[in-house]
Amino acid sequence: MVVPTLAFLLIFQYYPAVSGLYRSMFDWNAGLAGNFIGLSNFVELFTDDDVFIRSLKNMALLTIWYLIAFVGLSTGVAVLIHRIRRERSKYFFRLFMILPVIIPAVVLILLWKFIYDSTIGPLNAILIGVGLQDWTHAWLAEPRIAIYAVMFRNFPWIDGVSVLILLAGLQAIPVEIIESGLLDGASGWRRLRYIELPLITGQIKLLIVLTIMWGVQEYSAVWAMTQGGPIDSTQVPGMWMYFNAFRISRMGYASAIGVVMFLITLVATILNMRYIRSQEY
Amino acid sequence: MERRSESLTAMAGGPAQSQARSLHRGDGWRTLALGILCALMIAPLIMAVIISLKSPSQFTRVPFMPTWPLRWENYEFAVQIISQFLLNSIITSGATVIGVLLLSSLAAYSFAQIPFPGRTLVFYAVLALMMVPASLTLVPSFVLIRDLRLINTHWSLILPWIAGGQIIGILILRAFFESLPGEMFDACRIDGASDWQIYWHVALPLTRSMLGVVAVLNILGTWNNLIWPTLTLPERKMWPLTPGLYSYMEQYYTSYGRVMAGLLLGSIPLVILFIFTSRLFVEGLTSGAIKT
Repeated sequence: MVVPTLAFLLIFQYYPAVSGLYRSMFDWNAGLAGNFIGLSNFVELFTDDDVFIRSLKNMALLTIWYLIAFVGLSTGVAVLIHRIRRERSKYFFRLFMILPVIIPAVVLILLWKFIYDSTIGPLNAILIGVGLQDWTHAWLAEPRIAIYAVMFRNFPWIDGVSVLILLAGLQAIPVEIIESGLLDGASGWRRLRYIELPLITGQIKLLIVLTIMWGVQEYSAVWAMTQGGPIDSTQVPGMWMYFNAFRISRMGYASAIGVVMFLITLVATILNMRYIRSQEY
Repeated sequence: MERRSESLTAMAGGPAQSQARSLHRGDGWRTLALGILCALMIAPLIMAVIISLKSPSQFTRVPFMPTWPLRWENYEFAVQIISQFLLNSIITSGATVIGVLLLSSLAAYSFAQIPFPGRTLVFYAVLALMMVPASLTLVPSFVLIRDLRLINTHWSLILPWIAGGQIIGILILRAFFESLPGEMFDACRIDGASDWQIYWHVALPLTRSMLGVVAVLNILGTWNNLIWPTLTLPERKMWPLTPGLYSYMEQYYTSYGRVMAGLLLGSIPLVILFIFTSRLFVEGLTSGAIKT
């Protein structure tokens, strides 16, 4: 009964994964057999490809930001919601956190593309409205600013999924633990620091792993907002892979980028599993 | 001292009056802070609603405040274009979700209740795929789809999506099937039921709500896929909603009213799905299956 599953996985998961590893060592264009060139693709990536190096820097910048914004801010919001005592407001806010999940991601990305528009976008309109004409920019078109515009999209950056996962963790903490903590004088900040946060490290760890994986690989926002431009200033590895594979048909080289991204996620995940320990009650 | 004892009585369910007072203390600034955050979250959508009801000349005069008359015809225009994309989405995401539910429940049932040689090993081989990112397989998958001559068919989305989507499904459903008592399945076997009969008549009906969770997670995943369909489907009329909305915005970028109307209309299907499955949504996102 596992045969259909395995058949699907073999054809559409194992085969492409192995083929990706294999083809990364080829000078391989669409439709051609390609030549085996060993690790030359990887050597070129790290020694002779400034765009790839820049894309790695952008990736690091974005991932660190996603960690702060998604994991950090979401923890704050989850704790805030958890501490609200009125059941009805609690329920309302919890429901509201679903909103960014059920609005298709592309709609939010496109709305922000519009918000950043240099001539008709509301961001510049607001800046002019409060008398800050000098601060207006062509947000997505200026090479020095575009990456930050991509980064700060979806203000106020709340990630509903993370909030809900953390909230579930907070609610699973037995009341007795909090009560005995209160008896020992741990209230407010100390309750958070010494009781609640240690007990949701499992969830936080999971979110850190997911966010890193996502930050390394995600490029649909860049794809939809800037396509890596202007002058490659918002290039990320995923976008660069896409460009090499489907615009200039260097599929072997693109596979090598895919392999590098895979290794980065793998190392980050292993490190995270190793060095952040979760606590049990 | 006093604060502490007060909250303690509140928790222990002390006298009703003091409980009511202490229950809501401190809610004020928290509600305010969260309220502001929620308002900021929803602001772009409100902007979209306002703009979606404007003609180009109304937008030029007053861009961000409501103007009358409201131009509902923007929505009529958007419907005509969006509906084809929406239909494609329903076909592809729908077929995917059916395939994922069937395959992952079958596999999960076998992994949990039918001993076969190498079972654990095979299960770990499936789990290991969780670690294989889409970036590694993007290029080879595309070449595979091309070699299978599936380009410009909806199968180019459905088949890989089923393959990828069933992994998380197997994970969630196996945990559930393992929690069911094995004696129950043994009893069925003694009564002469085949594994297929047990799967169909006993295991599946018991797991209905978990299937719902898997379905919701799967739909969310495929619905939001932006880049893959643009690769395998050269013809725009085949595109599902997410890339469809992108191309719609590119095409009509300067008719801001029509663009916003389209984006809002494109958001509705998931909202409707959410209304019918809100419990499964929250369960799916917070269930024990998604925990380390």
